[in-house]
Amino acid sequence: MMAADAIFVYVQELAEYEKLAEHVKVTQKDLEQDGFSKNPFFHGIIAEVPEQHKTKEGHTKIGYALYFYSYSSWSGRAIYMEDLYVMPEFRGKGVGKALMSKVAQLALAAGCHQLNFTVLDWNKPSMDFYLSQGSFDITASMGYHCMRCEGEALEHLAQP
Amino acid sequence: MNFKIRRAAKEDCKDISRMIMDLAIYEKMPDQVKISHEELERDGFCQNPLFECLVAEVPEEHKSNEGFTVIGYALYFYTYSTWKGRAVYLEDLYVMPEFRGTGQLRIGTALLSKVAEIGKKKQCVRLQLSVLNWNTPSRDFYAAKGAQDLTVTEGWHAIRFDGQNLDNLANEAPKD
Repeated sequence: MMAADAIFVYVQELAEYEKLAEHVKVTQKDLEQDGFSKNPFFHGIIAEVPEQHKTKEGHTKIGYALYFYSYSSWSGRAIYMEDLYVMPEFRGKGVGKALMSKVAQLALAAGCHQLNFTVLDWNKPSMDFYLSQGSFDITASMGYHCMRCEGEALEHLAQP
Repeated sequence: MNFKIRRAAKEDCKDISRMIMDLAIYEKMPDQVKISHEELERDGFCQNPLFECLVAEVPEEHKSNEGFTVIGYALYFYTYSTWKGRAVYLEDLYVMPEFRGTGQLRIGTALLSKVAEIGKKKQCVRLQLSVLNWNTPSRDFYAAKGAQDLTVTEGWHAIRFDGQNLDNLANEAPKD
């Protein structure tokens, strides 16, 4: 339960960074229900520092990765990393890399063959980081576009 | 001609596997298909399935040239947005070419709508998918249904680790 409140704060901070803060509709209660029940919709890992290195506001939980299992009809089980975030004052110290590597390790342990996620094209620090770690951009190299249906369009589509 | 959309059964996996390969050929990447009907049976029909699937079926008298009555499918799974909550990801949507068209025969639309309806019942607020940029018929189809292209409008790129790169990354994880 403690993790859900930390995750909620960071979800908002990450959204601010991605300049899409008004899009956050999920509440802390939603996260608790959806991530910590019997068949969770997602899983999370947290990066924590010892008490003596806590932030100015007193946080020891300073980063997180949120992921869920997905499926490729071509290669089977996969992992989708929805969020990866480290508080600005703790960046450049290998925390992001550690979180992502841990997700990769969990992916392999679960029999997954891919780790997928998305990045905004203007987010150069993140794009550079991911590409330097050995990932490839399947939008740039293969032409995949991410599509979404929501709101009224989704309501209309769901009419039987 | 009438058709039926229903939940896939384990016995449908050979047909689904056949159509997965057809779709991969259409997407010009048949060598990327690494799993067979056996993996689909194991992963989709166990106690905690990794995906769900719908199939489109026509009556015997309207079977395909090669004799198939299962002539389309939609494979999807549930995902999560930390901003909006539950969502559905449509991994594949495919209808055999001879059963595509306009007018009465709108099998692709029926499959897509059924996925949306199922997602809605599970309180999903988004339906997501990806489409190849050169695949104009599919891009037009989804655009007509009100889908937004987030790569174009917001600049989202899909990134992947697989094979040796995924192994290397995992090996660098901190020890517990």
